[in-house]
Amino acid sequence: MPLYHCVIYMKKHNNELEIDEDMQLEHRTWVIQRISWVILFLILVAALLGFTGRGGVKGINKITRSTPSQSMEVEYDRFLRDEVEGEMKISLKNLKSTSPTIFFSKPFYDKIRVEEIVPEPEHIEIDQEGITYTFRTAKPESIILFYTKPMHVGNIQVITRGPDNETISMSHFVYP
Amino acid sequence: MDTIIKGAIIYIFLLLIFRLSGKRTMYDVTVFDFVLLLIIAETTQQALLGDDFSLTNGLLLITTLIVLDIIISLLKQKYSPIEKLVDGGPMIIMDKGQLLKDRMQKERIDESDILESARDLHGLQRLDQIKYAILEKNGNITIIPQEKTS
Repeated sequence: MPLYHCVIYMKKHNNELEIDEDMQLEHRTWVIQRISWVILFLILVAALLGFTGRGGVKGINKITRSTPSQSMEVEYDRFLRDEVEGEMKISLKNLKSTSPTIFFSKPFYDKIRVEEIVPEPEHIEIDQEGITYTFRTAKPESIILFYTKPMHVGNIQVITRGPDNETISMSHFVYP
Repeated sequence: MDTIIKGAIIYIFLLLIFRLSGKRTMYDVTVFDFVLLLIIAETTQQALLGDDFSLTNGLLLITTLIVLDIIISLLKQKYSPIEKLVDGGPMIIMDKGQLLKDRMQKERIDESDILESARDLHGLQRLDQIKYAILEKNGNITIIPQEKTS
């Protein structure tokens, strides 16, 4: 093949330096880079505040909700990560029965795997509506810990019902 | 399926974040850069594999990354705007002996970086011995010395 067929014409800077310089692209890149640096910094600030789960400022990630009569309080993480263990604390007060029940709506067993419950429930019942745990306690106050792992990315809405038939709605967001 | 999607996301994310961090980020690995690189590698490995250390998962991941690399290189070869977008391009930072300060500042380069390349590549001692300094797309600084006057 003749040599002239292989020649690729390149821009010449000062009529001597062959360089494929694109200053328009460089200017655009600088702007995008600086905007992205600010975004990266903001992501870190959001993570420190708790918007990406695991710690942070109380009220952003760690949420505490109570029933109107204050007989049940749930402390849970709003932001979770896929297949990463989290803790949910349920405090029961003014118990009238020695075998209190806690009910969770269907997404709780559909989209979350319960790794461990402390203390262990005496009885578990599952139906189409949800899952009901029955515990055994002799005291009027009790704390129950649920160690859970989300198995679904995205929003999870769970409704829990305490021994007094009052409900608390929990909203989780699970990151991939 | 999960492994392939994870691999693709991590590959594109790393490509994007290193492009956004600027040309000089991956040039001339200092001790700190080396530590940073090790941490990124370890974090990436954990995010990619999760708790699935099976041979199938490992082989799938490697295949995903290689296939993505082939696709990107083919796209770069076929469409030059994609190549410029992914890799960036060269840029003159010293023109006929004159430092282009604005460009240097934007790319986080100072005179000592140019002098370092001048010493390293041509054994030059002073800035006035340099005609052109070019910041290449890989972050290296290429030096073209002044022509010697007889």
